[in-house]
Amino acid sequence: MEKIISLSHVTKKFEVGDGYFTALNDVSLSFNAGEFAGFVGPSGSGKTTLLNIIGSLDSPTEGEAMVMGRDIAKLSHKDSAKLRNLHIGFIFQVFNLLPVYTVFENVEFALLLQDVPKEERKKAVMEALEWVGLESMANKRPDKLSGGEGQRVAIARAMVKRPKILLADEPTANLDSANAHAILKTMKTLNKELGTTFLFSTHDEKVMAYLDRTVSLKDGKVVSDVANKDQQVQA
Amino acid sequence: MKLSFQLAYRNLIGAGLRTWLNVGILTFTFLVIIFYNGLLDGWNQQAKRDAINWEFGYGQFHHKFYEPYNPFTLQDAHGKFNVKETKGLTPLLIRQASIYPNGRMLSITLKGLPKNQRALKIPIGNLGKHLGAIPVAIGKRMANAANLSIGDEITLRWRDKNGTFDATNVVVATIFNTTISTVDQGQIWMTLEDLWRITGLKNEATILIADTQFKDTEFEDWKYISQDKLLKNINDIIEVERASARIVYFMLLAIALLAIFDTQVLSVFRRQKEIGTYIALGMTRTQVTGLFTIEGSMYSLFSMLVGAIIGVPLFWYLADKGISFGSVTADMGIGLGDRIYPSFSPELLISSALVVIISATIVSFVPAHKIANMNPVTALKGKLQ
Ligand SMILES: Nc1ncnc2c1ncn2[C@@H]1O[C@H](COP(=O)(O)OP(=O)(O)OP(=O)(O)O)[C@@H](O)[C@H]1O
Ligand SMILES: [Mg+2]
Repeated sequence: MEKIISLSHVTKKFEVGDGYFTALNDVSLSFNAGEFAGFVGPSGSGKTTLLNIIGSLDSPTEGEAMVMGRDIAKLSHKDSAKLRNLHIGFIFQVFNLLPVYTVFENVEFALLLQDVPKEERKKAVMEALEWVGLESMANKRPDKLSGGEGQRVAIARAMVKRPKILLADEPTANLDSANAHAILKTMKTLNKELGTTFLFSTHDEKVMAYLDRTVSLKDGKVVSDVANKDQQVQA
Repeated sequence: MKLSFQLAYRNLIGAGLRTWLNVGILTFTFLVIIFYNGLLDGWNQQAKRDAINWEFGYGQFHHKFYEPYNPFTLQDAHGKFNVKETKGLTPLLIRQASIYPNGRMLSITLKGLPKNQRALKIPIGNLGKHLGAIPVAIGKRMANAANLSIGDEITLRWRDKNGTFDATNVVVATIFNTTISTVDQGQIWMTLEDLWRITGLKNEATILIADTQFKDTEFEDWKYISQDKLLKNINDIIEVERASARIVYFMLLAIALLAIFDTQVLSVFRRQKEIGTYIALGMTRTQVTGLFTIEGSMYSLFSMLVGAIIGVPLFWYLADKGISFGSVTADMGIGLGDRIYPSFSPELLISSALVVIISATIVSFVPAHKIANMNPVTALKGKLQ
């Protein structure tokens, strides 16, 4: 299997006052294309930091993070922007939709950055909105959406470019149970149909129940890494 | 680029009142810049036109002894001119004299132009024959100062070519209205033929006024003063006015730019999550910086638009109807008509627009540039201090 992400001895230190705070401590992990995996662990254990490094929003202090064959620490600003633009989708706890754009335009944004022609864009956006069941909301503004709908738009926006990797940082934290299950099911389906690699960071039991693989972090270290053969929930 | 413009446009429209406040100040500044300059340009053109029509013509030959600002030179500043050589030149003879209106004595400058002259607008042609008194033309200011009206007879006293005093009566035949005070205040105009006769200076002149532009020629007793040189005074005064106007609109522009700068600084801090999102979606830092710069400079584009909506009809009206300065028609050293017709040239409009657009872009770029150094992770958290 192709290793889409491989981290070896990744350490991340943040400057705090005079010293350092070690947020990630010698993490070595790898993920195959198409995995549906997640990081769990108490607050402050380094989940978000790890996702940020994989998403090339940040880089490791020590060790090597290879994503799609690229060494994150060595990417220029431009190249890391390109990597994100083409291959990595992000979903955040707060949805971070652009308030001045309609649902359609929010989803379209990534494709505009890629200079995709208009007709193709339209087709792709409508398809992405279908995945999350929001075709009818295309012309609404984000502030008119419910929390569940907002996060579904964020998923459509992240998935419309059919990225190789989707990073979701606590995507269900602001959602009620029904909405959480709905978006998780959607993501699981997309994972199966498009082969996108999904990586979560979560405290949420509901999310954990969907994961094929759970990596537990504590104080910046991997404490367990288990495959969930016996998933409680099926997509 | 197109994406940035679209996004910037949406963000500005979305920001509502703040946007319109900035656009409002900038529009006002833009209009004031154009108005001031248009007014000065109009005034300049008008003053020059009047000076050419009433005083300077298209250049002048001065008699070698003549110094415009030294009346003592007048006694000797005259000479014969060659009629053949001076085709297209209109002779003007200047003498000193006195008049005695209501028993007072008033020193004046006596000027003579040929009856059939076309070089200046002085209505010499209107001076008909009068019995006994020599008909003269005076300007409104002179008429007011000496309390004279049409038909009044006054005693005129002058020296002839030998320096001997002589006197006769003159009658005010016409009173003209001009913006050029230097052909009006303290001056009496008669036909050159009359002036020659009473002074005995036949075929002599102090100044020869040209009806076309000459090359820098000079002949014997005459030195050529080009039209540009003659108009230099007006240019200088207008430049002084322009400089003080500039202070006003630079201050206005500074206020407008400060408002934009302030908004931009605030934007960069308040909209960190948005910036983080752009970066997460794959925009480069340069693109995000560009976006915020465009957003700031778009205030200037909006203000052009609003400025055009207000300014086109307003300025059109002003340029057509003129602006009355009524009672402040003070003597400014150059002609100031009852009405000034502002002139809004394409150069003026384009250069004002460029000043506004470029300066707005610069003040927008400075805070936007901060984004380039922003850590996307901190930006996404919205915690940058
Ligand atoms: N820029 C930073 N400077 C200093 N410390 C930081 C910085 N970013 C993260 N940390 C610290 O690193 C640790 C790991 O942070 P991280 O956000 O990865 O945790 P997390 O597992 O995502 O926690 P949570 O579940 O609360 O989101 C935390 O203790 C945090 O305070
Ligand atoms: Mg976190």
